[in-house]
Amino acid sequence: MPKDTSADSISLLSKNVRIEGEIQGPENLHVEGYLKGAVDLSGDIFIGNTGIVEADVEAKNIVIQGEVNGNVKAHQQLEIHPTGKLVGDCTAASIDIKEGAVFEGRSNMIKSSRAAAGPSSNSTSGRGPQIQKQPQPE
Amino acid sequence: MPLFGKKKKETKAERPPVAVSQNETSYFGKNLMIKGRVSGNGNVIILGGLDGEFNLRGRVKVAQSAKIKGEVKADVISVNGSVKGSLVAKDRIHLDQTARVEGQITTPKLSISEGASFDGEISMNDRSSKPAGTHKTDSALDPLSKTAPIKK
Repeated sequence: MPKDTSADSISLLSKNVRIEGEIQGPENLHVEGYLKGAVDLSGDIFIGNTGIVEADVEAKNIVIQGEVNGNVKAHQQLEIHPTGKLVGDCTAASIDIKEGAVFEGRSNMIKSSRAAAGPSSNSTSGRGPQIQKQPQPE
Repeated sequence: MPLFGKKKKETKAERPPVAVSQNETSYFGKNLMIKGRVSGNGNVIILGGLDGEFNLRGRVKVAQSAKIKGEVKADVISVNGSVKGSLVAKDRIHLDQTARVEGQITTPKLSISEGASFDGEISMNDRSSKPAGTHKTDSALDPLSKTAPIKK
């Protein structure tokens, strides 16, 4: 068994299973089912074709092939595939939205991610990761 | 060879593998903490924490590293980890040697391995849980502990 360096395993929420509540931890998550509540992971989240997420999502990388209703925050990259749909605001250091994807909401970039990424291991786990966002639209 | 290797590295996007078949077992890893309710159809293996409730048609395996507080309802439950709360199975429950259970167990069939710890109450009246004619052959529902979890 590998030890618990952050997020070395992938959890799977399969198609006919639903979670209502909060999910957190240093873990990668693959969602093909239904998820409602709040997600706060320091790993990646992958929302597959059949995945439906009604939650605010925070993770390192976020990949959306299914449907998300809620605000998402990717500490690194947000990716919305052609089949993906995001209704809600996004915050990310980098975004990749493919042709055909649906995105309704506002987008904020995490600025100076490189400077902030230096001691990257500190924030994410606690209550309030203190990323300063400037409320300018560009 | 090395050329291909390099190319791959450049395009690496950190994305979990996509190969998921329809009825796969849900898997909640060691580092995942869930607060709330998990329901639906399907099998679940949990290695992390759950504070809340499982309510599933299918099998639940509580692995050794798992910690559950609350209620687990499923067809078949197999416990290697720790559970505080109640376990309710339609078909059967197995407590393996590493299991630590505090609370109530309700099941028509129960097995407990030597070494398991169980503090609580057992109820095995099966009149409520078996409507007439649902005596299945049990071959389809082996104890979880030895079965490979993932089927296609």
